[in-house]
Amino acid sequence: MLLAMLLPLSIVLAVSLGATHLSPLGVMSSLGARLGLPGCVPIAGPGETILYAVRIPRALLAALVGGGLAVVGACLQSVFRNPLADSGLLGVGAGAALGAVIAVRFGLGHLFLALPLAAFAGSMAAVGLVYLLAHARGQPSLHGLLLTGIAVSAFAGAATSVLLVSTEEFRLKVVLFWLAGGLEGRGWDHLRGVFLLIAAGCAGLWLLARTLDVLSLGDDEAGSLGVRVHAARVLVLTLAALVAGAATAVAGAVPFVGLVAPHALRPLVGSVARRLLPSSFAAGAILVVLADLASRTVSARFELPLGSVTALVGAPYFLLALRRSGDGG
Amino acid sequence: MIAPLLEARGLCVARGARMVLHDVDLRLMRGEALAVVGPNAGGKSTLVRSLAGLLPAAAGSVYLEGTPLAALGRAVVARAVAVVGSEEPADAAALTVVERVALGRYPHRGALRPFENEDRRAVEAALEATGIADLAHRRIETLSAGERQLAALARGLAQTPQALLLDEPGAHLDVGHQLQLSRILDAVRAAGVGVLMVVHDLQRAAAWADRMLLLDHGRLAAEGTPTAVLGSKECARAFGVAIRGHAAPGLGHSLYSFEEIR
Repeated sequence: MLLAMLLPLSIVLAVSLGATHLSPLGVMSSLGARLGLPGCVPIAGPGETILYAVRIPRALLAALVGGGLAVVGACLQSVFRNPLADSGLLGVGAGAALGAVIAVRFGLGHLFLALPLAAFAGSMAAVGLVYLLAHARGQPSLHGLLLTGIAVSAFAGAATSVLLVSTEEFRLKVVLFWLAGGLEGRGWDHLRGVFLLIAAGCAGLWLLARTLDVLSLGDDEAGSLGVRVHAARVLVLTLAALVAGAATAVAGAVPFVGLVAPHALRPLVGSVARRLLPSSFAAGAILVVLADLASRTVSARFELPLGSVTALVGAPYFLLALRRSGDGG
Repeated sequence: MIAPLLEARGLCVARGARMVLHDVDLRLMRGEALAVVGPNAGGKSTLVRSLAGLLPAAAGSVYLEGTPLAALGRAVVARAVAVVGSEEPADAAALTVVERVALGRYPHRGALRPFENEDRRAVEAALEATGIADLAHRRIETLSAGERQLAALARGLAQTPQALLLDEPGAHLDVGHQLQLSRILDAVRAAGVGVLMVVHDLQRAAAWADRMLLLDHGRLAAEGTPTAVLGSKECARAFGVAIRGHAAPGLGHSLYSFEEIR
């Protein structure tokens, strides 16, 4: 509940602050004017354009990306029965990076939406490859799936490096920025492009919430409760890959969101997916909205990569949490 | 003649290329206490999983009240047959006891049906029967091994099954909890549920069971009353020990001693 209220607040904060400061009240008033509420007026001058053309789509995209990654993290942690599971395990991140680098290497980087589309294709190709390789000898164990994911990720990472060193320097910057994660220059088109995938994917995962709880009990127990374990797992992984692939396609690598948000929430809302998934969405959304705000306001001269901000916050949090729970040795 | 609740006929099950169960015939009747004993790697766990339809049969079939499991949907089987395994100490799912037990209603509710009064009653009855109602809101990982096993059993009871299959549930239980388990199972059987339990401890199996099956190298080596099975030469051969029964007046079953055969 609290999270549901904090999310709009963080979005208003994020769209207000920046190189041109807008007052949060002015922002609310402008939003009210758009909705036709009496007594509300648009912001004077270029502020109105900055708000609607730049900041609102970017903040909404940040919320969608963060929320999607957090939901995917929570789902994969149930399916793999491992609190450290994340979309990276499926090869999403590495595949997306390879797709983006291939697009840039072949001179497509400047084309509109070419990078996100190539990244999405790359991530889906990687997930598909993980699936095919893992199933080459019949239905794989969770470990088989996990290790295949690591192998495919490593392979895609190596291919990315090879392509990067053979890419001309002026193209390199585009892709390096994308690799580090960021929402610079993202607008309504990007939002429209991924909204349906992420929203529908998260909704689908939420409908599978009870099945996710059963899967988290392990294959035998889930099977004895009437779940078609293999089919259910493939369905969850497919939806998770679509959401994570779409999020990574527009924002690049945004690490730790899928780990931190569910991990922080479990002690508060419990592990039942029906509650954990919506709260994780809200927490991941807030996290990335604020991280994106920090990435563009910390320095007046340059934007910090979004992925670095989430990692700078997420990694120490994670180490602290591990130490507190006594799992960190 | 009444059809057995659960029946295996000529059941053969393979794990990979290896045949683990060979031509097993078995019947579990309503309200019956059937113990499955046998040396390690005898195929006991495989048998339990096959009886619940979790492993496909390479040959032969399992029947639920006369209908082959293969002809029934997963959910139908799960509503009638509950499996409770030996609880592993570490479990990644940080659910509370009541959340875990409520998942026992999954075969009845599926992915989407809301939690109804009937579900609430089944969960409460299961917590009550296992004596862990006061632990309902504790997280599973904070429980002792014995309490965790009772929570797993409660999940099985919340399924309101006709057949309850237990795979070595006593492994982590002290003697007090083991007696409690037998008492809970007696109450379950009194309501007509057939209980099949894999038991390592032969003494405990003899004290609990109406009938006993001995599985050795995936084959049914002996079947009958506990006294008959434990006294058989097949049993001595399977375990590689000499088994002697000692009359214990007033106990209702014999006490057994075991000696290595040299």
